[in-house]
Amino acid sequence: MLRSVAAEWPKLRRSRMGLVLVSLPVVSLIIGCANFYMNRGALEGGWYSLWTQVSLFYGEFFLPILIAICCAFVCRLEHTNRNWNLILAAPVSITSLFIAKLVIVGVLIAGAQALFLFMYWAAGQLLSMTGPFPLDIVMWTFRGWVASLSIAALQLGLSIRIRSFATPIGISLCAVFVGLGLYVLKLGLLFPYSLLTVGMGVLTQRGLTPAENLLFFSMSGVYLVILSAWSVRRMRASAAA
Amino acid sequence: MRALLLEYYKLRRRRVWAMLTLFLAAELGWASVSMSISISRSASNASWEALIFSLSSMNGLFLPILAAIVISRICDMEHKGDTWKMLMTTTAGRRSVYAAKYTCAASLILYGILAQAVFIIGFGMLHKLEAPLPSGLLLQFTAGTLVASLLIAALQQWVSLAVKNQSFALCLGMLGGFLGTTASLFPAAVRKAVVWSYYLDLSPVTYHYQASAGSYITGTIPALQCIAALIITLLLYVCGNAHISRQAI
Repeated sequence: MLRSVAAEWPKLRRSRMGLVLVSLPVVSLIIGCANFYMNRGALEGGWYSLWTQVSLFYGEFFLPILIAICCAFVCRLEHTNRNWNLILAAPVSITSLFIAKLVIVGVLIAGAQALFLFMYWAAGQLLSMTGPFPLDIVMWTFRGWVASLSIAALQLGLSIRIRSFATPIGISLCAVFVGLGLYVLKLGLLFPYSLLTVGMGVLTQRGLTPAENLLFFSMSGVYLVILSAWSVRRMRASAAA
Repeated sequence: MRALLLEYYKLRRRRVWAMLTLFLAAELGWASVSMSISISRSASNASWEALIFSLSSMNGLFLPILAAIVISRICDMEHKGDTWKMLMTTTAGRRSVYAAKYTCAASLILYGILAQAVFIIGFGMLHKLEAPLPSGLLLQFTAGTLVASLLIAALQQWVSLAVKNQSFALCLGMLGGFLGTTASLFPAAVRKAVVWSYYLDLSPVTYHYQASAGSYITGTIPALQCIAALIITLLLYVCGNAHISRQAI
């Protein structure tokens, strides 16, 4: 398993994926901060108000798309020149191949989340935010990452199946809107994309109760397992064909 | 013409039309729900102007991403199959392939814009809007959206063909969508430099914010900005074409 993960890293070399991972959170944060600064009179919630401004687009649109881009990217090399045949002929199980890709996407998204959190803190300092840094934000960022893993499992399945780079990203965008609709209908815990909205406190800054927290992590875990199993099964079926 | 037909031929099993339709359905579904909620809150919102403005503002988010996805699909097949060398052995030059790809992408986007115009008419008729269909406004909306889309398409095609890694082109589309959505927050001078804001700027309907409420103002699309957009499109197309035609393969 570790060797499979190690084999994925060199594929990212010179891809400049770092630029993509940095640009989306940075732009989201800059515009969110600018909007907060211009409407400071109306936004009186301090750190929490700043979070509403910077996380709205990032958590609702950018992060799911970023996950989709990462997943499509880690499968791109295999789709080129029929490299899947080469990879599937290697003496490693299909499950470990899939998990290695999921680990890589997980690490990339964790990096993006950590950067976003750090920049949020730095922006708060620059804007002379009063009060201590709320620990809720750390929890929201972590929950966002947990929800990202279940989305990544689904997107990886799509990216492995679909040769096109852009199609899974388009599907992801459509799923974002479905997730938004389900969140509005208070069915947010039933769909991976709306789990992200719930987890990151994007649309409401009300913290989750312990029971809701438990439900959130349970649903994320269930989706992660189900979607990973589905993706591995699809991979195995296509390998046999 | 032959190169253009071949572009459509290459797309025949790629389900680009289906993807485009699915994506448009998401946008129009959202527009429909938001307009219905708006009308249920106040009957005064049941107007053609509100409908056109609503779609123009949503286009700022959706169309840059849609353009990025469609163009990435059209261009990525040459990268993936490493077919540029093969194309160069034919009589078709790189410039004509570039032009064919651009025309193909523009026609796909035009299909999306026309679908939006049909949606506006259908939604208005379904909700029995009092005023007659403002064909002039609808025509201007179509023209303005097309001009903005052609500009974005020229930029996206350049990036998609110049950089093999399509993450960059799609990331640019995402950033464009974000800037297009938040464009109304920027001062007018800044907005002119942000090409993704043209979806809203080239709309014949604007929204005037007042202390407690707002009102829709109709007019004509700004001719000067429209001409500027066309000039930028031409520049991006010519520079992109020249760059790609000289790129080592």
